[in-house]
Amino acid sequence: MDGYPLGSLDHNVPYLLVSGLTTSNSELPLQENLKYERKILLKSKLPAAEGADAKALAKYFQLVDEQGKSWAAVGSKTPYRFRIKSVGRTIPLPPRQARLPERTETLESHHILHSPFSPLSSVSSLYPDGLIDAQWVKKHQELVPSVLLCFYTLTTDPTTTTLRDNELKNDIGELKAILAKSGYKTRLAVALIAEPDSTASSLATGLQDRLENIRRGATLDPKSLFYIPPQDSDSELRGVVDSVLTTLYGSAVEYYRDLARHSRKKRSRGIAPPPTVPPTTGTSRTLSIPDWNLRYDFKSGVFAEFRQEYDAAVRFYEQAYGTLLGQDVLDVIPSWSPRWNEARLLSDVISIRCLRVHFWMGMTSLAVKRWQAHRDNIRDFVDRRGHGTANYGWQAWEARWAMVMADLIERIQIPGLTNPSPSVFLPPDRSMMAERISPWEHLHHRGYWYRIAARHLDFRRRLAHSIPDDDRVPPEDPTVKEKFGYDTYLCPKPYEEHPLRGHGVNHSQLIIDCLIKAQTQFQSRNQTRTAAEISIECAKEMASTGSWQDVLSALRPLWEESSFRSGGWVNIAEDFAWLLRRAAVDEGEGDLVVAIDWELMHKTNSGYTQRPNWHYDLSKSLEETTCSSKPEVRISDDQVEAPIVAGWAFMGKESRAGETCVAQLSLKSEAFSNAAPLTFKSLKIEFDGALKPIVLEHLPSEEKSEGKVSLNALTLEEVFDAESGDLPTMLRGHTDLTLAPGNTLVVEMVIALREAGEVTSSTLQLNYSAESFDLSYTMDLGDLRNPAGWYTKGHNAPRYIRAESHMLHVQPRPPKLEIKYLNSSSQYYVSEPIKLRVQLVNGEDESVSAKLDAHLFGKVVPAFTLKANGEEQKVESAEEEARLTEFPIGDLASSSSLDVILTIDPAEEPTSYDLHLRASYHLDSDAATPITQMLPLQLTVVNAFESNYDLNPRLHPDPWPSLFDCDTISSSPDISEDTPTPFKGLSQSWCLMCHFASFALHDLKIVGMELKVLSNLKNARCEIVKQAETPSNGILVAPKTMHEARFDLVTQKVSLDDRHPVPLELGFVIQWQRQVTDDGDDDDDGAAGPINTTTMYAGNYLVLGSEPRVLASASEIDMGKAMRLLLLDITIENPSNHFLTFGLNVEPSDEFAFSGAKQTTVHLLPLSRKALTYRLLPLVRGDFIRPGILVRDKYFQKTLRIIPTEGMKIDKEGLLIWITPMEGEGEEGKEAVEVEDDDDKSGDSEE
Amino acid sequence: MTMAIPSIACLGVIGRNNNPMHISIFPSQDPITNNFAPIRTPLQFSLILSSTIDVFELRTRHNAISGGGLSGEYGLLQAVDDRLAAYGFETNTGVRFVCVVDMRGRLVDSAAASSKQGLRDAELKPVFRAMQNAYVRLLQNPFYNPDEHAPLGGNGGKKITSKKFVDDMKRIGDGWTPGVVKL
Repeated sequence: MDGYPLGSLDHNVPYLLVSGLTTSNSELPLQENLKYERKILLKSKLPAAEGADAKALAKYFQLVDEQGKSWAAVGSKTPYRFRIKSVGRTIPLPPRQARLPERTETLESHHILHSPFSPLSSVSSLYPDGLIDAQWVKKHQELVPSVLLCFYTLTTDPTTTTLRDNELKNDIGELKAILAKSGYKTRLAVALIAEPDSTASSLATGLQDRLENIRRGATLDPKSLFYIPPQDSDSELRGVVDSVLTTLYGSAVEYYRDLARHSRKKRSRGIAPPPTVPPTTGTSRTLSIPDWNLRYDFKSGVFAEFRQEYDAAVRFYEQAYGTLLGQDVLDVIPSWSPRWNEARLLSDVISIRCLRVHFWMGMTSLAVKRWQAHRDNIRDFVDRRGHGTANYGWQAWEARWAMVMADLIERIQIPGLTNPSPSVFLPPDRSMMAERISPWEHLHHRGYWYRIAARHLDFRRRLAHSIPDDDRVPPEDPTVKEKFGYDTYLCPKPYEEHPLRGHGVNHSQLIIDCLIKAQTQFQSRNQTRTAAEISIECAKEMASTGSWQDVLSALRPLWEESSFRSGGWVNIAEDFAWLLRRAAVDEGEGDLVVAIDWELMHKTNSGYTQRPNWHYDLSKSLEETTCSSKPEVRISDDQVEAPIVAGWAFMGKESRAGETCVAQLSLKSEAFSNAAPLTFKSLKIEFDGALKPIVLEHLPSEEKSEGKVSLNALTLEEVFDAESGDLPTMLRGHTDLTLAPGNTLVVEMVIALREAGEVTSSTLQLNYSAESFDLSYTMDLGDLRNPAGWYTKGHNAPRYIRAESHMLHVQPRPPKLEIKYLNSSSQYYVSEPIKLRVQLVNGEDESVSAKLDAHLFGKVVPAFTLKANGEEQKVESAEEEARLTEFPIGDLASSSSLDVILTIDPAEEPTSYDLHLRASYHLDSDAATPITQMLPLQLTVVNAFESNYDLNPRLHPDPWPSLFDCDTISSSPDISEDTPTPFKGLSQSWCLMCHFASFALHDLKIVGMELKVLSNLKNARCEIVKQAETPSNGILVAPKTMHEARFDLVTQKVSLDDRHPVPLELGFVIQWQRQVTDDGDDDDDGAAGPINTTTMYAGNYLVLGSEPRVLASASEIDMGKAMRLLLLDITIENPSNHFLTFGLNVEPSDEFAFSGAKQTTVHLLPLSRKALTYRLLPLVRGDFIRPGILVRDKYFQKTLRIIPTEGMKIDKEGLLIWITPMEGEGEEGKEAVEVEDDDDKSGDSEE
Repeated sequence: MTMAIPSIACLGVIGRNNNPMHISIFPSQDPITNNFAPIRTPLQFSLILSSTIDVFELRTRHNAISGGGLSGEYGLLQAVDDRLAAYGFETNTGVRFVCVVDMRGRLVDSAAASSKQGLRDAELKPVFRAMQNAYVRLLQNPFYNPDEHAPLGGNGGKKITSKKFVDDMKRIGDGWTPGVVKL
């Protein structure tokens, strides 16, 4: 608000002049032209009041004065407001009337003298046609008090009381007289303070009377005399003074009301008073009636402000403003006249005073409206009557006008817009609440106003710079009239604004000041983006003046914070990046230049625009920059975006420690197409988890890939460090790291994995080295949102592999200790002990200590033993499951092996086992980590042989005992227990036909066969009379072939009396061995295995029954001459105790001739047998004959079955007898018998 | 005699991550030459839009303290100067629509125009309603992935490229004058 005359905008509050508290006398602050006017001096002879109270009062009055200066809005409850000035006993007052000009002839006595502040007086600067200026306001605010408050000391010395009181009376009376004579209406008030050393008691006597006496003597009204008794403390004193001032305030307000009334009275006269002396120079123009009305209205307004009557003030101001901008005042002043600018100034002052009052009344929106209206009015006027708005002067005023608003907001401290308040603008005030108001009429905080001012200052500069050169030179002859056409209202002349030589107005500084003020405001309200925006503007301004250091300090924080870039406001970021780069170049900030160049190469989809004719070559970044040392630039992707998109992908999701995996690093250039290719010196990929960093170094290659994607494959070498021990410190590879713009560089790497765990790619560090600097850029590689794809040769686009392609799960190192199963098959046979040979092979790189567990599962688990290293452990047989744990294997050196033999006892029946062999071991170097290897085995145990059996009766050759021979039938009674039981019963002869086949997979050798009687026979015996014969070298049994074995046996009962049949259980025992064993330890492969004994159940038979049976037996008798006679014996046995009669009938046949009883009856005694012999002459050879013999039990009329013995067989129709062919014929026939025999007898078990 | 009435100078959609998703700029009428030209450069409009984020954040914070509304209906955000003013609306997904109004963007015959000055917040509601409708239509497009345009917890985001949406914005910006109820 500087530029407006001092005092013109002061907040008017009643002016109180305090006399008698100080001894110093001061001059009146009068204008130059009034210095020599006669002043009015009020003098008092009494000494000034002294003492602590006086000092405290003086101090307090200063405080009140300060408060009075404040523009802050105060509530109506404030009891008083004063501007207070303290003077000594001499009180100067400005001249009431100006003198006549000296050269004026004094003859004309009708000259009316006017106030020196009036345009009517020739001494006034307003003479003859000025409207009103700050001097007048100052007169009332600083020169002529509304109240003159005189302090006197009230004596307490009783001896001099009357004398002093009289002196006081006289002094006051004199003052009053002079004041009245001066013509000022200033009210006089007197304050009495007690003497410093007075006491309360001394004062109390007759005080009231004395005060009354003084008042009367000085003809003061009761409200004008105050007594201030001595107070204990300052605050009490202040309380008393406050009450005094409150009283005085009332009379002060009255004073200003009188003045306003006077002013209005003059206005209502409706005449323009003539000046004391008519003007003789210039236009000789004097003020017209509207001019005078304007003056009076303005005065009324100011007086209303003195009275703090805002409504009235606004009313008068608006009236004055209306007059000023009406047709009769400003319109008639020529724009070349200095009065034009004075009138504009007055209009500004009135407007500002209006705005201020609006703000005080809380009419914020109205104030903005008023602000706009004034600007529009003035613009209209300037356009119409002045120099137009297209010049720097107008813009200067616009800027000033915006600043005025900002200053007002600041000085008035509008509630709601003071600094800690969060609001950006105020809601519409109550007067505008119901109206449609424009957005700007919400009063915004000062920052916005400063910005507007800055913008206008910018326009001002632009216009100033367009001033033609002729006008930029000061006129050589100062008396020559200056060129018109420039609006110089409150701003310099064109040759000062922008002189041709020398410095003119520093526009940039003005703008920067403005912007910094604005920025402070925005920053304090957390409008960070706006503050940043202003910083950019500011920096541009600084750049125009070349203060690059300031640019750097303004923009660097923005660059580093990078909120614009990360938010996607790329055009904003780009805008200041170039500016910052320029500043950095100038300031030698090499690292910043490189960082900016690095980023600006980046062309995002709608991002940075390509700067024409820019090299976009990182290596040339520092060509123009001079740096003190070679910069090492370290930046990362959270500071600066890269022109490169990097991706990392592991091919597989999982791998194992100790194995290798394949991964791809892809670098896609997003640089501008005309940018130079980037060649990185090296790059480093770091991982989270169990993978050491990978370093790729540049190795120039001749081949240039043609496509957009170049795919290089390489295997990384491991670099070991002395300290790192077994594990590598990093992985290194060499490849061509040149990346042309728009291309993609893919490096496919084979990585050896050493440790287990999760591996995630975390960062990529790109190292670029140029002559003048080193750049290392770190970027994030583990972006979950954009999984890197997999590039394959010939395809430009990556293939999606999975969501988390940057992660790899490395499983623990697999057990390298192998358990080998050495047996060639897992087929085993019943009754055979199973011998498993297992080998533990240590495939680890170092020796291990191991233990072996064996678990065997099955229905019935036989006992098994484990043998190794000469140690043996046995596990007893069990149901379901048997386990052997922690069999010590001991140390196994690397790549050595150990054989373990597991022997399972023979199974008794076909079954299957599950065998789990688990080796748990640990490396000698790492005893804490157990490693487990397991071998599951399934063992099936089957029968090696399947067989079927047939028990055929034979004719026992021995005669039966005779009932008539007692020796043969009765057992001697004296047989003791010890002696073997004599078998006296009947004997029967049997033959067990045994057909068996091998079901094994291999050839087996049978070394022995045996028939065993399994059942425990009581009262009978069974003797194997003839075992099947086995050759000494055994029988070789091929798989799936049938073999036969016959066993003859004889059974006999103990007693003839025993009638019960005897159950006979038979077992067929085969002793066999494997032809080829699985035992690898035996050198000779062909060696036979151990002999196993398999016992097969051969069936349960009933023998020695008591039913009669008929046995047929045949024998051939060679009669010579190619004649053979067949003797057929039909033996009928009667083991029962009955007498039986059988009828025998033989039918003749074509096949043979026979001799013997054709039809006969046989009687059999109990326990007897009888044989009938027929002689048969077969008529056929090599064929069966069917002798039709029928044996019938006469009593039961039942036909008995004739049981064939050797060489015979039977079918449904009866007995069949084989007739052997003569020599030389029918060999096949004989075999056919056997085959047919087989067929018949093994019919039920044929498989 | 002509007089100036408000028009839309710029429409912006700002994403959840404070990223610009869409900016449409509309020309204003020059009172002297009668030509149509944007009154600010695209960069300046970007700056204006970005500065509105400050106000959005201030209001959000204020609402959080005072327990006010969750979102939406912010109305006037700030007047840049006596000519340009930014109005805003926040959806409950954090997407913000900003409408920069040029208070003197169109010239009309004063006889035809109502003599009303100023602008009410409510007069901008059709704009925001239309913008939101356009945005909802955009969201209904199965090929539009909102997360691409404002990644969760991330920075930045893509801009809207849907031609239909851009056309909608253009229609809204061109079609609005004070008093228009439906766009």
